[in-house]
Amino acid sequence: MIDLMAVQTALEQVLDPEIGIDVVNLGLIYAMEEQPDQTLRIAMTMTTPGCPAHDSLSYAVQCAAEQVPGVNAVQVEVVWNPPWTPERMSDFAKERLAW
Amino acid sequence: MQASGITTNQSPPYSLPMRYLVVGILFFGLFALDLARQASGLVLGDPGAPSVVALTHLLTLGALLSFVMGAVYQLTTVTFLVPLSSEKVAKWNFWLYVLGFTGLFFSMATWWSMGLVVFGTLVISAITIYACVLLRTLMKVKMKDAVWGFIVSAHLYLLLAISVAVLLILADANIFPQLNAVMPQLIITHILLAVGGFFTMLIMGFSFKLVPMFTLAHGFSIRGRARLLLTAHGTMVLLLIGIWTPYRLFLVIGLGLAIFALVDYLLLLRAIVKKRMRKRVDVPIRYAVFLPLIGIVTLLLVLWQTLIPLSVLAWQEMIMLYLLGYVTLSVIGFSYKIIPFLVWTKRYSQPQPGRKMVMIAELIQYKTTWPVMLLFAIALMGLIVSDTIHVQASTIGFALLLCVSIFLYLYQILRVLNLYLTFKEMIES
Repeated sequence: MIDLMAVQTALEQVLDPEIGIDVVNLGLIYAMEEQPDQTLRIAMTMTTPGCPAHDSLSYAVQCAAEQVPGVNAVQVEVVWNPPWTPERMSDFAKERLAW
Repeated sequence: MQASGITTNQSPPYSLPMRYLVVGILFFGLFALDLARQASGLVLGDPGAPSVVALTHLLTLGALLSFVMGAVYQLTTVTFLVPLSSEKVAKWNFWLYVLGFTGLFFSMATWWSMGLVVFGTLVISAITIYACVLLRTLMKVKMKDAVWGFIVSAHLYLLLAISVAVLLILADANIFPQLNAVMPQLIITHILLAVGGFFTMLIMGFSFKLVPMFTLAHGFSIRGRARLLLTAHGTMVLLLIGIWTPYRLFLVIGLGLAIFALVDYLLLLRAIVKKRMRKRVDVPIRYAVFLPLIGIVTLLLVLWQTLIPLSVLAWQEMIMLYLLGYVTLSVIGFSYKIIPFLVWTKRYSQPQPGRKMVMIAELIQYKTTWPVMLLFAIALMGLIVSDTIHVQASTIGFALLLCVSIFLYLYQILRVLNLYLTFKEMIES
């Protein structure tokens, strides 16, 4: 059984290199699902399609999730629907952006 | 939730865009050195003098186009989510371009006709290959929106600009001496297609992608972009008719439309920035949003010059203002974002256990970029005014100040790059 809270905590260490805010607080993580063989499937998005950090962010998410005990493998899927909107950001993220 | 079904790894290998970017930056340094060398001769100098023609092309072909080719190879793949049609061709084409341009520069400086034909042919071939690689890549894009339209249009104008360059070379080499009768029209057409058609439309297209990305803007309208694209093409057609026919009215209407297009573009950019989520916008992006104003001022001066013709010198100053004040400063502004991003992706994007993640803002201090861009702008204005009123001392002074601002920019960018490490990485990739 994968501890999804532990995964979320791990993903809070993955920062968007341009904005300096983590992927969880930015609202980029859409879903985390444990598969029968303890593989973790993560559906995430980017702030905009064609984000230049696309590859590096999804890879960083994969690496961070793999470090969590109990996770055998991680599949990161980048999705565009529903598109990301600023409303998905946490209050912490909005505050960091001085909004 | 719908899966993207898009392959994530579309970007070309690091060494492909980086080789063009690095060479563009190095040629920019050479441009500054050559400008400093020629500073004393700029006042009352002949704009058609070999050394001035070589200097101009050192900026346009050596620095700007080389930098732009690298940036476009990278940005196209991430903006349109398609791989390049041929990375291999794009890689070896670099050597053709560098060899061709180096030879062309020396041929221009000494006005060696055979060199102009040989090396000009190499450069024209390299640019044609670049445009074909890009256009083939862009044909694979599924969502052909206005941004796509701007980038495709820019490259079509680039092909037209080099076609006119072929005619210029043929005329100069006396292969088709009858072309000498329309030499002024050919030169103006070449400048219009290259600066107005290629650089301006490229900056417009990618600004619509980069400005929202770096300001985290959402919910802005994109409806005006198609109108702007049509206006830009209308401008080009009217100006070309104005150049090639005796009807000055076409020039006047074309310039009016060009001013309308740049104002429209400025308002569209401002509408994006108003919808930003990042309250604090980095300096280079703030400049990029402000710079079309320089383009608008230049076009107003050109319109005035068209109504009340002054002199060849006035045209030279206006071209310099548009090329250095709008095009070059826009490229400088975006380079402050593009180069650190590429370097970060190569050196710091791989997570290292126990190591704090490096942010892009740690690679370059954005607050130190505005004095450099401002110094560049002030020096340019001073240079243009001094040259126009023929004050040699201040012309030399402002030309040297412009060189200083370029060297400060190069210092900042080369610190981010670390050339030794960059060359090592390029060889390894």
